[in-house]
Amino acid sequence: MIFSTLEHILTHISFSVVSIVITIHFLTLLVDEVVGLDDSSEKGMIVTFFCITGLLVTRWIYSGHFPLSDLYESLIFLSWGFSLIHMISYFKKRKNDLSAITAPSAIFTQGFATSGLLTKMHQSAILAPALQSQWLMMHVSMMVLGYAALLCGSLLSVALLVITFRKVIKIIGKNNNLLNQSFSFGEIQYMNERSNVLLNTYFLSSKNYYRYQLTQQLDRWSYRIISLGFIFLTIGILSGAVWANEAWGSYWNWDPKETWAFITWTVFAIFLHIRTNKNVEGVNSAIVASMGFLIIWICYFGVNLLGIGLHSYGSFTLTSN
Amino acid sequence: METLFNPSKTAKLFVPNISLFKSSFLHSTFNPQTHILFNRKTLSFTINCRAKTSQGRKTDGKNISKKILLSDSAPELSNEDVEPKPKNGGGAWGLVRKLPKRVLAVLSNLPLAIGEMFTVAGLMALGTAIDQGEAPEFYFQKYPEENPVWGFFTWRWVLTLGLDHMFSSPIFLGMLVLLATSLMACTYTTQIPLVKAARRWRFLQSADAIRKQEFSDTLPRASVKDLGVVLMAAGYEVFLKGPSLYAFKGLAGRFAPIGVHLAMLLIMAGGTLSATGSFRGSVTVPQGLNFVVGDVLGPTGFLSTPTEAFNTEVHVNRFYMDYYDSGEVSQFHTDLSLFDLNGKEVMRKTLSVNDPLRYGGFTIYQTDWSFSALQILKDDEGPFNLAMAPLKLNGDKKLFGTFLPVGDTNSPNIKGISMLARDLQSIVLYDQQGKFAGVRRPNSKLPIEIDGTKIVIVDAIGSSGLDLKIDPGVPIVYAGFGALMLTTCVSYLSHAQIWALQDGTTVIVGGKTNRAKAEFPDEMNRLLDLVPEIVQSSISEQPG
Repeated sequence: MIFSTLEHILTHISFSVVSIVITIHFLTLLVDEVVGLDDSSEKGMIVTFFCITGLLVTRWIYSGHFPLSDLYESLIFLSWGFSLIHMISYFKKRKNDLSAITAPSAIFTQGFATSGLLTKMHQSAILAPALQSQWLMMHVSMMVLGYAALLCGSLLSVALLVITFRKVIKIIGKNNNLLNQSFSFGEIQYMNERSNVLLNTYFLSSKNYYRYQLTQQLDRWSYRIISLGFIFLTIGILSGAVWANEAWGSYWNWDPKETWAFITWTVFAIFLHIRTNKNVEGVNSAIVASMGFLIIWICYFGVNLLGIGLHSYGSFTLTSN
Repeated sequence: METLFNPSKTAKLFVPNISLFKSSFLHSTFNPQTHILFNRKTLSFTINCRAKTSQGRKTDGKNISKKILLSDSAPELSNEDVEPKPKNGGGAWGLVRKLPKRVLAVLSNLPLAIGEMFTVAGLMALGTAIDQGEAPEFYFQKYPEENPVWGFFTWRWVLTLGLDHMFSSPIFLGMLVLLATSLMACTYTTQIPLVKAARRWRFLQSADAIRKQEFSDTLPRASVKDLGVVLMAAGYEVFLKGPSLYAFKGLAGRFAPIGVHLAMLLIMAGGTLSATGSFRGSVTVPQGLNFVVGDVLGPTGFLSTPTEAFNTEVHVNRFYMDYYDSGEVSQFHTDLSLFDLNGKEVMRKTLSVNDPLRYGGFTIYQTDWSFSALQILKDDEGPFNLAMAPLKLNGDKKLFGTFLPVGDTNSPNIKGISMLARDLQSIVLYDQQGKFAGVRRPNSKLPIEIDGTKIVIVDAIGSSGLDLKIDPGVPIVYAGFGALMLTTCVSYLSHAQIWALQDGTTVIVGGKTNRAKAEFPDEMNRLLDLVPEIVQSSISEQPG
């Protein structure tokens, strides 16, 4: 009982702290940068990280097995992965664009996991016989970390696409506000410049320079993070294959989840291969990465939604009233 | 080469020894490349796949004279650049000789490889969208001709293209084979030359060339030697000659993609062996009965050859389940004894899910279970064995039932006691009218009185569902897995190169890297900050 209360408290703390962090992020985006606020948002993410860690540890002790046996737990773990990436990038380099991706990602997964949609799954369930293995820890944690990193990387690519797409729109002459307020985060520098539009040539070039620098940064970071996620995904899939050879009698069964993980792997392999050709613009690889973004969600949710195949213990029904 | 290798090896192809087949498989597929190796004309198509190669070569050509004077420890591999022999030009013979190269050039084309990967991904997605392995009637109903999906997709597509068994269909397997050949071709024509180009390093002698690098900076009042020390401390290999400095880190990151490709090929080879040389089978054995391994296993491909271990006899000593407090099954266990031809027990083990039994090349997995029989005493007579029948098999929710006739068994409508069970733990009994009578546990010995009949449930006999497998491909596939994990990790390393030149008291630093382009400038700035500033000019070297 005490465990579930603790769990409850930790869930709520982490969720509310993340919401505050998001608010601060948007504040710094809209208003000018406030040093104190920015610092506090970073502190908030650290608090969130420890809350989610505490939550997972509580669940582990409470249920007696590694807390990755169903979708709810894996979602919590996913948001833990996001906050982990956030922390690492924060300690490596004080200020970066990445936090604008990781923090909202963390809140969305955390919010989805704790929302009413999946309430039935909050109780930690018993572990099916096939899951009782040391491989559970390695396979699922690697997969979810891989998903987290790949989602971050492909979101950066999506941002790159949005920015490039905006440029095209602007050339056509449709300066609509809707797009300006769309998903754009690191653009504060030239957003401010936009507000006092003095269309002299110097200004335009400096704006383009900023944009160029920003897209290049996005491009490079997305490549780096996707490479990292690719490593996790590879290890996750392969350890899953080894586990399957222990539990199901074959290292590859063409189970839907397996197949979709392989499709994800292939798509990001394509991304990495496109990147080897320097003549191809970053946009092309970004398109592949955003495809990968959708495919991860199909792999992670879509297959479970159908509840087919050998991975069906992760399944859930949306109409569980 | 071809005539040397192939006939001798293909003769052995049908010899049971499987490892021999593997080597012949690899040799024969590598043949076009060994062929090329003796032609020395690789230069023309190294450019195909990546722009990087051509760049590397261009700069190499420029600096060839400078390259030779340095290098006390640098690997020198310029032998590869031998001029192509001008002969064997025209005629049919020339065409024949050129053909493998043309094929190789086409195969190593990166857009083609990307297209192949997309196709494979798409086919796999289709394979999960279309139900696999159903009877043709199923597809007639699901994809009718009158009302096609997306306007054109009918069962004819499914059945002619083999989409009902996607992962063994010729299209899919052919695509994988094509991808494998592309992998090999690209490794040979692009990756290996790229690594060779990367290993050929040189000093840059002009400040302009250094400033042209992706990252460049100028350090006033500094010494190139101090820079060398700083770089060495940061894990760089540093070469210093006069006023010039060259340093690199993470060269393994250049090699690793080759390893990734080779590991992929290894996994594919292992998978092929698994598909062609395995035995599989499954059996449901009631507790206390035996089976012979060879009777259960069936070959999966033309390379499957029986072994000694097929004579092993397996006896199921006991099958039992563990339960959670809530009553749900937590684990299945089967206690097995293995006997050889002479009836000697060679092994005994209790296996469970995730803990298979391995003996003599075959593996026994716990995969399923069933309710075999119920042992009861009727009015203290017996014990009788009542066979249990599966009533509903909906996923894991199993239900078994049996029927004990009471009274006149010759009358047309027999009445009796029904017994139902979801697991081996508790039996639910119903009386002649079908009303609930009670629940008994098999080992409780507690009698139950139904319509004047006293029944004691003595035991519940389960049967263990076992999967048997012999898979010679597993070691190869596992080797490939290990190699793939390792090389993917190493591929994350970024190959960084730094040049520096002492110009009076200033040092011009330039550098580039192939992967960590975002972090590299930060790392460089951090390192350059560490280079001490020289107050008095005490630099002995002057630019040469």
